Amino acid sequence: MRRRILTTAALLAGGALALSACAPSADPGSTSDAGDDVTLTVWSWRTEDVDAYNRIFDVFEKDHPGITVEFEAFQNTEYNQILTTGLAGSDGPDVPMVRAYGQLQPNIEAGQLEPIDGKVDGLDGIAESVIAGAKGKADGKTYAVPLATQTLQMFYNKKIFADQGLSAPTTWDEFIAVNEKLLSAGITPMALGAKDDWILPIFADIIGSARYGGSEFEQKVLSGETDFTDADYVASLQLITDLQKYLTPDVVGVGYTDSQIQFTSGQAAQFPGGSFEIATFRNQAPDLELGSYQVPLPAGAVLDAPVTPAYADGNFAINAKSKNKDAALELLNWLATPEFGQLVADELNQFSAIPGVTYADEVMQEAWNNYQKGQAPYLLLVDFRYGEPLGTAVLGAEVQKMFLGDVDAAGAAAALQTGVSQWFTPGQ
Amino acid sequence: MKTMSAVTTPKVRRKRVATGVTLSRRAGMVFVLPALVLFAVFIAYPLLTALSYSFFSWTGIVRGEFSLFDNYVTLFTKLPYSQDLPNAFVHNILLFVGAMVFQNTIGLGLATLLHRLQRFKRFFQTMYTLPYLVSPLVIGYLWSLMLSPLFGPVNAILRAVGLDALAQPWLGNPQTAIWVVVFVTAWQWIGFPVLLYGAALGGIPEEIDEAASLDGASPWQRFRSITLPMLVPAIGTVSVLTFIGAMEAFPIPYALGGSQGNPAGATDVLSLLFYRTAFESGSSNAIGTSSAIATLLFLFIFGVSVLITALLRRAERNLF
Repeated sequence: MRRRILTTAALLAGGALALSACAPSADPGSTSDAGDDVTLTVWSWRTEDVDAYNRIFDVFEKDHPGITVEFEAFQNTEYNQILTTGLAGSDGPDVPMVRAYGQLQPNIEAGQLEPIDGKVDGLDGIAESVIAGAKGKADGKTYAVPLATQTLQMFYNKKIFADQGLSAPTTWDEFIAVNEKLLSAGITPMALGAKDDWILPIFADIIGSARYGGSEFEQKVLSGETDFTDADYVASLQLITDLQKYLTPDVVGVGYTDSQIQFTSGQAAQFPGGSFEIATFRNQAPDLELGSYQVPLPAGAVLDAPVTPAYADGNFAINAKSKNKDAALELLNWLATPEFGQLVADELNQFSAIPGVTYADEVMQEAWNNYQKGQAPYLLLVDFRYGEPLGTAVLGAEVQKMFLGDVDAAGAAAALQTGVSQWFTPGQ
Repeated sequence: MKTMSAVTTPKVRRKRVATGVTLSRRAGMVFVLPALVLFAVFIAYPLLTALSYSFFSWTGIVRGEFSLFDNYVTLFTKLPYSQDLPNAFVHNILLFVGAMVFQNTIGLGLATLLHRLQRFKRFFQTMYTLPYLVSPLVIGYLWSLMLSPLFGPVNAILRAVGLDALAQPWLGNPQTAIWVVVFVTAWQWIGFPVLLYGAALGGIPEEIDEAASLDGASPWQRFRSITLPMLVPAIGTVSVLTFIGAMEAFPIPYALGGSQGNPAGATDVLSLLFYRTAFESGSSNAIGTSSAIATLLFLFIFGVSVLITALLRRAERNLF
């Protein structure tokens, strides 16, 4: 008797386990409802923007009766896995937010996304380096509508500048003079978290893009006319060593978040960084008088005007398995309109990829105006993240070695060339 | 079949009756089943799939053709793997050696001292074990804050007491960064050998020690010839677990040096290399290469663990 009870108990326990394993996952609601009403699911990694996106899609739903948009956001760091699984199975989203450039390729190569060439109006006005983030490297087709643009520039603390009688520099000599003045006043001229390698290629491009030639150099490198050992590129990296004295002495020990605090607390007067910093600075230090400028042309610069390097950040695509492709295409068309672009600016506080958007935040508007005056690609992210090792990772580690005095500009450039040539063949 | 029937021999059955519960083989199987299912689904299956993945070339998540050892050859011949793999491997070994030195000197010493302690024994045991209970990621971030050259208290204290030369960018200098990882790992884990050694010390009969001291053995002689040999099983356990822990190290190196093993790869370890390859690379063959790394790592950990265990078994047999 006792034995039977035990057996039954064990069977029940095992059965419960098996049942829970079979529990169906929540229905994503991607199937068409009765009649013409369609529910589109949109997935994103922007958990912090759920409310804003719901407001944005309310606008869409009002003008597009019959289509309901359901927005779901997942943890950023888990998103790639979640999306890959979702797209591979049958319960994926109709319209997924996808990464840009190299990180988008695995989804395209796996045939998970629908090409949208010629099906979406409004893509023509988008900057080429930005739309490149939505294209398949191998087939050159467009697979998504770019969401946001990130621009890279020098931020500065207006109050410190005013106290020191300084203004945003317009020539390289003025730029050096500003840094010297700050240094002698006991203020760290530039905050840089060189312990985190990913910020360093950003720094290198903010300082040196115009020196090596921005888009012009990009074309030459891609076609194979030159490579990273080019004298102009080496000279652009040399600027990093030239400016090292204006950074914290043990800069390679300083983490990225430390450098943010350094800047927002007023210990440092300038911060070379991406437009994604603006929201963080506004949160951390609401009183900070923030300004931004393009780093002026250094001597021997290939370009004749300063530039703002930029890249696309996030895209919206269509799941190749979606049952509601027509409605999804309608949504994508709307995502490429200035109306949505303006909502990106107002609701999400991001630079829209769509031209003709205005920004209420004056720092954003200032940075955007600068970008309009002179554009460049954030070269290593836009073009050199399509294989291992990533161009950004190689240069990040090399710049750290430069700061530590273990390698010079030519050595760093050579290592970058060796690294990317593992997978990059010019002219393809 | 012969071995199977051995299980049901009357001798064994009589032994089981003593536990007060009688189970048929079938009921026994039913009880084992849930654990077996969990093991199969969450351990055996992923292990075998990773192994099979590593023999294919991949485009995204679409499996390409069978490529036998191509992914493994890539690991040893192509940048960045040919450079990162040995670099990371050396750091894993350093972590193991460093942890062993810490645990078998300081850990064993603390355990011996605590064993002799009459009062506050529990208190100190808890104190030493406390870091072990905190998430290693949290420990890593706390230490990275403490060692920050801008705001960190470590350098501030060093400067305050006049040791300016020692106030370094500990995590920014490749020469010191890996030792910080070794130290923080050992610091967190120290409570573990203290507990294990403490338990083992408690298991040594006092009579032997007493007899030796009556025979005139000095405390050091007694430790050397009685305590240490009787601790060999515990030392073995600690060594194997430390080895596995050191080879799989991820959260502390990640918190201290990020996924790239900053600065300049100085804190890179094999798990970080795997993580980077699998989840951060733009390479479409990420699954193939990262599975190859995972397989190699598993085979190495498994092989060496078996070896250490076998060696220690033999050492134990020679002792007793």
